[in-house]
Amino acid sequence: MLFLQLLLNGLQTGAIYALTAAGFALIFGATKIFHVAHGTAFTIAGYVFLFAWGAGWPSWLGVLASIAAAMVFGIVMERLVYRPIQRHEGSFFTVFVAAFGVSIVVQNIIGMIAGRGFATVDTPLSFSAEILPEIFVAPMLWISLATAGVLFVALTLFLTRHPAGVALRALAQNPDLIRTYGLSSNGLSVLAFAIGSALAAPAAIVTAMTTGLNEAIGHHVMLISIAATIVGGIGSLRGAALAGMMLGIAESLALTVVDTQWAEAVSFLVLFGFIIFRPAGIFGVTQTR
Amino acid sequence: MTGIALRSENLSRSFGGVQAVAGVSLSLPEGQVTALVGPNGAGKTTTFNLITGNLRADSGTAEIRGKPIMGLKPWQVARLGVARSYQDLRLFTHMTVRENVLAATETSSWFWQPGGRRAQQQREHRAESAMEATGLTALADARAVDLAYAERKFLSMARILAAEADIWLLDEPASGLDLSSRIRFGTLLKDAQARGVAICLIEHNLDVVVELSNRIAFLDQGKVLAEGDPQTILKDPALAAIYFGDRPQEAA
Amino acid sequence: MTAFLINLATLAAISGILASTLNFIVGYAGIFSVAHAVFFGLGAYGGAQVALLLVPNPFLACLVAAVIAGGLSLCLALPALRVRGEYFVAASLGLQMVAATLFAELKPLTGGIGGLVGIPRPEILGTIVPVLPLALAALALILWATARLQRGTFGRTLQSIRDADSAAESLGKNVNAAKTLAVVFACAGAGVAGALYALHLSFINVESFTLDQSIQIMAMVIIGGAGTLWGPLVGAVLLLSLPAVISFIPFIPPTEVGAVQQIIYGTAMTLLMIFRPAGLLGDMSKGKSTA
Repeated sequence: MLFLQLLLNGLQTGAIYALTAAGFALIFGATKIFHVAHGTAFTIAGYVFLFAWGAGWPSWLGVLASIAAAMVFGIVMERLVYRPIQRHEGSFFTVFVAAFGVSIVVQNIIGMIAGRGFATVDTPLSFSAEILPEIFVAPMLWISLATAGVLFVALTLFLTRHPAGVALRALAQNPDLIRTYGLSSNGLSVLAFAIGSALAAPAAIVTAMTTGLNEAIGHHVMLISIAATIVGGIGSLRGAALAGMMLGIAESLALTVVDTQWAEAVSFLVLFGFIIFRPAGIFGVTQTR
Repeated sequence: MTGIALRSENLSRSFGGVQAVAGVSLSLPEGQVTALVGPNGAGKTTTFNLITGNLRADSGTAEIRGKPIMGLKPWQVARLGVARSYQDLRLFTHMTVRENVLAATETSSWFWQPGGRRAQQQREHRAESAMEATGLTALADARAVDLAYAERKFLSMARILAAEADIWLLDEPASGLDLSSRIRFGTLLKDAQARGVAICLIEHNLDVVVELSNRIAFLDQGKVLAEGDPQTILKDPALAAIYFGDRPQEAA
Repeated sequence: MTAFLINLATLAAISGILASTLNFIVGYAGIFSVAHAVFFGLGAYGGAQVALLLVPNPFLACLVAAVIAGGLSLCLALPALRVRGEYFVAASLGLQMVAATLFAELKPLTGGIGGLVGIPRPEILGTIVPVLPLALAALALILWATARLQRGTFGRTLQSIRDADSAAESLGKNVNAAKTLAVVFACAGAGVAGALYALHLSFINVESFTLDQSIQIMAMVIIGGAGTLWGPLVGAVLLLSLPAVISFIPFIPPTEVGAVQQIIYGTAMTLLMIFRPAGLLGDMSKGKSTA
């Protein structure tokens, strides 16, 4: 029974991880930018929702504001940080350090404004009910799974049907196109950041309504997104989402064997193992170094 | 008769069902320039990679003066006297020309090189003469990334000269060089030949092949179809058909 | 006031060791580790245990710390040999997270969250010695060694591997051996810094060995200028004096000093990367894209 309960908990965490990881993977695939400030988009989205809720806004408006905030953050990062660095041929590490700097700044500003420590949105949706003997499930589980499912279908449709989506996929599969297209991929790059960042918003809202947010949560989200993207196989959205789901479930199921403190370490052991033994990930193509 | 520096027997390698190299047997005699000729995708660069240990062969053997080299790591093969150049050069872009060439003389991976000050002076001397031979002395302090195209090609050659290898595997070393650079390059090869270096080069331009090499190995679909002196091979209509058949824009 | 300055100078020397050893693998070998605090921590726990269980001899503590950190640095060398770029950063992130959990959970060795307390003051021949001269001596020694290596043939080997590893290997360089050697050297140095840190504070816990610390060391290197000799040292002094400077600004409430400090160094990291990616002391023409 404990197993089933943990599996259900894992599904909820997994849905959140899958969404954020897909966003990260989309951005990395299309732009080859290792967007370590992706967790920051998540934090911003979560706190915007928190404030909207606290200010008594209707929840749909809060959701929209949260998505908008994440998108704006993503686009601003692309325009003001990544673009200038890439213009002077900065290495991937220059990009990494710059983005990490932003995440530190935002984390501390949020801590100063909103206070440090956990903050949650209280809603009846996160009250658990006993659906089977000893199995407690809150409506949020179904909402988060449904949200993740719907968004993936929408994303898949966009990436396969819409011309801009197809172009994004082409960029992800053939990085040389970025070089050949050069400036014409500018618009696409902004699009990738907008969509990728927007995907973090629903995950952040769900987190705000269940386990709660703190100002440093972006770190954790960023690390999980990177882990899922690499385990899933760089360039594969489906892989990232699936790996995110798997990491969520693995973290939760690991509790049957180890204490809570080890849960996060499980994800990183998986990541470490993959990098050493199968760096191409589950769905990636094995490349020679 | 001179000895065979490097010999391969039946080297084979496939990538996911595609047989890139299908039993290449090749000998590189000392003091001779062997041109590896063939249409695109014939397996020329793959053959190099199999010999140098950058790729593992599915089957076949290769030996340097009788010493088997299959299964050795690239740096082990290099220490047996094989130096190679890459089509994309792979210079040490952020280092100066002098540092690039010096690096080629230093093989130890330890904190310092063996031999102390004397050996150090000898290596520096080798580096200076390699730069002189390639006409790069004036550019010694320029970074590789700032060089012009032909200079980069010569820097790649300078590294090989400084490495003092006696087997050279050169991947399109002359492509894109203008006539005067090509003549200078030809002199480098002649000098090395005179010292008994066994040279193998990949080259697409058949005029350059005739100009530089005295043996040809014709590769197609992963096999050596013919081996011999340039005149005979290039006059063979069957081979010409294969060679130009895959590149209609040149056959026209 | 003097106690304050001595403390600051000791911590600056220790950070200087951390930054220059990290600079060695980042600036010369292109191994972008964000797990340097792990080896700092290993050295700190190792050195502390030597002082607690055996003798508070600083030389023995540093030696043990260097051996432990250098030995376990193979965990970092392994991914460095297999992957590079983003993949390696991700691997070192993973290593950092797992190690922080281990530090917090392996109570018998690390004292768990509570850490190790009451680490005795260092003694040489029965006399208690302050850590500052030891730390300065270690810093000088490590700076001298890194400078020799960086400017010598080993530095050239690492740079050639960084720029084109396949070409370096086809020129006879054992790439794996050189990379491993560089990682072991840098991590052993971080271990020495850890032992000195434990002896200086006489109390350590996992807080000092987390990702935040790794990033701070990285920031010292980057802000000062990766691939330069003095840059990391300048970065270390700048970042360490930041809290002191901020605490003198009257209108910032003391509870926010930490946050303001973080905001300043986060901003500095981002702005430098956009406008001066080679760092304060870096040569712009040379440091542009070392990866």
